[in-house]
Amino acid sequence: MIESHNTKGLIFNVQYYSIHDGPGIRTTVFMKGCPLKCLWCQNPESQRLQREIFFELEKCTGCGICVQACSEGAIELFEGRSRTNRKKCSGTGRCAEVCPVEARKIMGRSVTAKEVFEEVARDALFYQRSGGGVTLSGGEPLAQPRFAVSVLKLCKDAGIHTTVDTCGYASWDTVQQVLSYADLVLYDFKHIDPAEHKRYTGVSNELILDNARKIYHELAIPMLARVPIIPTYNDSADNIKATTQFISSELGKNIKVHLLPYHRLGETKYERLEKMDLAVLIEPPAEEQMLALQEIVQSFGLEAVLGG
Amino acid sequence: MNERVRKLKERLQVDKYPICVEKSLLVMESYRQTEGEPEIIRRAKATANYLDKKTIFIEDDELIVGNVASKPMGLEAGSLGPTWPEKELEELRQGGLELSAQDEMKLRAMDDYWTGKGRTLWERMGLYYDDERLWPFIQSGILLPPWEKKNEGRGHGAAGVGWGLGVGLTLIVVDYEKVLHEGLNKLVAEAEEELRNLRYTTADSIKKADFLQAVITANKAIVRLAHRFGDLAEEMASKEISLNRKKELERIAETCRWVPGNPARTFYQAMQSFWFIWMMIASGTTAGGRFDQFMYPFYKKDKEKSSITDDEALELLECLRIKIMQYNFVGGNKLQRDKWAGLARWNNFVIGGVTPDGEDATNELSYLILEAAKDCRTPHPTITVRVHEDTPQDFMLKALELGRTGIGMPAFVGDKSYIEYLVANVVPLREARDYSLGGCLDAMLAGKSRTSAIGMFLVPRVFEIALNNGFDPRTGRQLGPKTGDFENFKTFDDFMQAFKEQLAHFMSLTAEEHNILLQAQRELYPDPVHSLLMVDAIKEGKDVLDRTLPFENGSVLNPVGMINVADAMAAVRKLVFEEEKVTKEELKDALAANREGYENIRKMCLAAPKYGNGDAYVDMIARDLYQFWADTTATFYSIYGAKMKASGISITAHGPGGAITGATPDGRYAGENLADGTVSAAQGRDIHGPTALLRSAMAINQAPYQSTLLNMKFHPSALRSAEDLGKLATLIKTYFDCGGKHVQFNVVDRNTLLDAQKHPERYRDLIVRVAGYSAYFVQLTKAVQDDIISRTEYML
Repeated sequence: MIESHNTKGLIFNVQYYSIHDGPGIRTTVFMKGCPLKCLWCQNPESQRLQREIFFELEKCTGCGICVQACSEGAIELFEGRSRTNRKKCSGTGRCAEVCPVEARKIMGRSVTAKEVFEEVARDALFYQRSGGGVTLSGGEPLAQPRFAVSVLKLCKDAGIHTTVDTCGYASWDTVQQVLSYADLVLYDFKHIDPAEHKRYTGVSNELILDNARKIYHELAIPMLARVPIIPTYNDSADNIKATTQFISSELGKNIKVHLLPYHRLGETKYERLEKMDLAVLIEPPAEEQMLALQEIVQSFGLEAVLGG
Repeated sequence: MNERVRKLKERLQVDKYPICVEKSLLVMESYRQTEGEPEIIRRAKATANYLDKKTIFIEDDELIVGNVASKPMGLEAGSLGPTWPEKELEELRQGGLELSAQDEMKLRAMDDYWTGKGRTLWERMGLYYDDERLWPFIQSGILLPPWEKKNEGRGHGAAGVGWGLGVGLTLIVVDYEKVLHEGLNKLVAEAEEELRNLRYTTADSIKKADFLQAVITANKAIVRLAHRFGDLAEEMASKEISLNRKKELERIAETCRWVPGNPARTFYQAMQSFWFIWMMIASGTTAGGRFDQFMYPFYKKDKEKSSITDDEALELLECLRIKIMQYNFVGGNKLQRDKWAGLARWNNFVIGGVTPDGEDATNELSYLILEAAKDCRTPHPTITVRVHEDTPQDFMLKALELGRTGIGMPAFVGDKSYIEYLVANVVPLREARDYSLGGCLDAMLAGKSRTSAIGMFLVPRVFEIALNNGFDPRTGRQLGPKTGDFENFKTFDDFMQAFKEQLAHFMSLTAEEHNILLQAQRELYPDPVHSLLMVDAIKEGKDVLDRTLPFENGSVLNPVGMINVADAMAAVRKLVFEEEKVTKEELKDALAANREGYENIRKMCLAAPKYGNGDAYVDMIARDLYQFWADTTATFYSIYGAKMKASGISITAHGPGGAITGATPDGRYAGENLADGTVSAAQGRDIHGPTALLRSAMAINQAPYQSTLLNMKFHPSALRSAEDLGKLATLIKTYFDCGGKHVQFNVVDRNTLLDAQKHPERYRDLIVRVAGYSAYFVQLTKAVQDDIISRTEYML
């Protein structure tokens, strides 16, 4: 893959002092675009590989300035507030620029690999002392492979530890090329059953599991398993058992498993994206349940951590 | 907390704090008899009269004894001036203080003694405020709070100082070791010896005789008071039914008859001795010094003899925390009290750091002190951890575990920057390594320095004035020099130059104010107890306010709201001079109108680069401003003949300071709070997390400051695991390695605070840190509460 400093990518956040996305103090670059559509997704703004408007209804005064500013005719006034036709909106961001009350924000920033690298490198001092570095997350970093490779290479050349947080859904060719610049992989296991996986995320997990085996055995990159715990969807003891079984027997016993309890921080984001119909309301798992699941993982001889 | 500590702590929760009048009456009784005698003798005699006659009691379960006021949880009305005017007193009563009508009359009867005779600090200072030059400045509020009348200054009335007469709000760390290791009897004997050998050959030698006589009078009285407690304990023991308590009282009796007159022989005696001497110098700013260092030999000896367990040591440390909670302070008019935010106190105990040899100084007691705070959860005294390269990681974790409880302590300070600061001020390296903190965070050497003038200078007020060619829109006066109309500046640099000229002008007036204050304090408040605990006290033979100390930082210039000005300057540079999106006239109009009708300009101002995000555009402006402040400060001299020092603590001045400052181009509305701390970001303006904020703070050269203040607020989710805390420890060390001086954390969630505002009665126990000290949240003013809530919360 041809990597270049000028390769452009679309990101939606650069989070400094990320302390739950790999070792040490890290900077996490959240990339836009994801091949999966997990029902419980708490970063719905990460799904589309294009810029989107974040809209805070309660701030909107219905002044209508945005309606005129939009060159795509995507905004109308409805019940005294503005409303965006998301099909027409391509994310030019004009409305966000003119909105006097900051009810509109643009999600997604087009940047070059070099620019992202420079933002990441600002915290180099903190990485050095803490054993931290950069983490590419998303969305799905593998959905923008050229950009991901370019950023990772720049970081590695500067001595910054690199981590990729991935769902693993990409061609082996892509996986191989991107991860060859990764010092660590955070690998998501959302469900072990192919049919259930497809039901909840939109895709089957065969490719994902296959890639996991190859990453572990052929690329031999250190790996951490990340299992989101979503009540009623994937939190059964059976699923966790089978997932751990896969990790311990088909990958290795040295893989640390992070069980990530579902949280509701993303709930308001659906509202902001005017996608309330897609929001599913789930109660976070109880502490006792998390501990029980942790025990299951430990019973396979694997280290299990609750949270990041 | 064991049962004893739990019971003692319960008694701290009272609905009303009684104002007591016993001390005022006894001090006045003495004053009336000593009219005309040298001031220091009068104060020594007044102190002795109070100590000899004060009401004493020992409360159930107490191990460390010595009641603060004549009533439990009481505040003795101050003895330095008239009491509060009726209106203020009423407000204080509504705010939880209690004063009977009868006692009020007794206090009022003394007002006449204090009024119109040049006996109060304000009257003394007011004498020098000429109508042309200084008085308009003092009235402007650039130095917070503004005065309204020349003879009333920042308001009369105070309550709650300790047993001594005090030296006002002075940042000082005394040499506790002297008393603990040598005992007062020996020090008094030395003074007597010096007096016998004294020959009257110079004016100074005569003054020295007064000083020595005063030292002898006051300090002998302390020992007599301790004996009275001994007698009382013995009497109580004789009547006590419980065998356990009887034994405790007998031990108390024995201890109080031994210390502080004699050298402490055990950890317990050292703790009791410390309390006696602490009460003599107690003020809102009395510091505990390097407590884990000077108390360690006593602890170690007891441990070696197996005469104390860690549980017993912990219990004593907790008893001391409770004793310190029995003590409160309130003073001045409403503006002054707001500046201090409620019953605020800065009683700082410092632990950790390096030894004079440069080795790690952490010891078992350092850990126990943290444990005591965690276990007993009182907001006072506050704890500051000195951090150096080799501070043990488990000690850092232990400190952060305490911080995680939301108690608002400890604060962390960086040895590297503090020691560099002191060495640059010609303090020998070994002494510099032994530094301590006065007040919140000001660098002090025990017994070798004190800061008694440290004003709250509102930099954004000067920005307003610079924008208006020296004219102050608030007072309607031409206050500063004419440095040019804003509309006529061709470049940003020209405007910055004009601002600096204004700043230097008002700093110079502040330096004068500080000198007047120092001189007034020197004449009015000689204090033989404080003075004895300074280095070479007897040989020097001078009051602590009457001598130049080895590290002379008596006067300090302290900017508030500098970060608002840095942000404002960045906005002006970008929007007005570079991008020309806003004209100079529009900006001035928008500010004058408090942005009503100019929302678009405010939006652009808000979008301009903000300090706290690691953005060099504005960080370099902040750096330049702080450097200018430090450099300019060093051009002024205090009455002690030393260069004035720069410091950066804002306490809670950002609330009342903001209230009298107009809208600023950083997007701040008129009346809104100023940025808190000195290298913190303005509230809510740092949106890129803690490392970005630290990068901004590291861009500022903090070396020439004797303190800087950085507040960070963390949601508990950032501090869950030991690993999380470890990362935070690394964050702190990295900051300190790069020149950072101080950082402290607020660990509470927003909803809790909002709920506490609505239902204060449910949160009487909720403790938060406000810029350098901890306080009960529900006792803070609404503005300060709002400020805490609005500070950026790092949800991780």
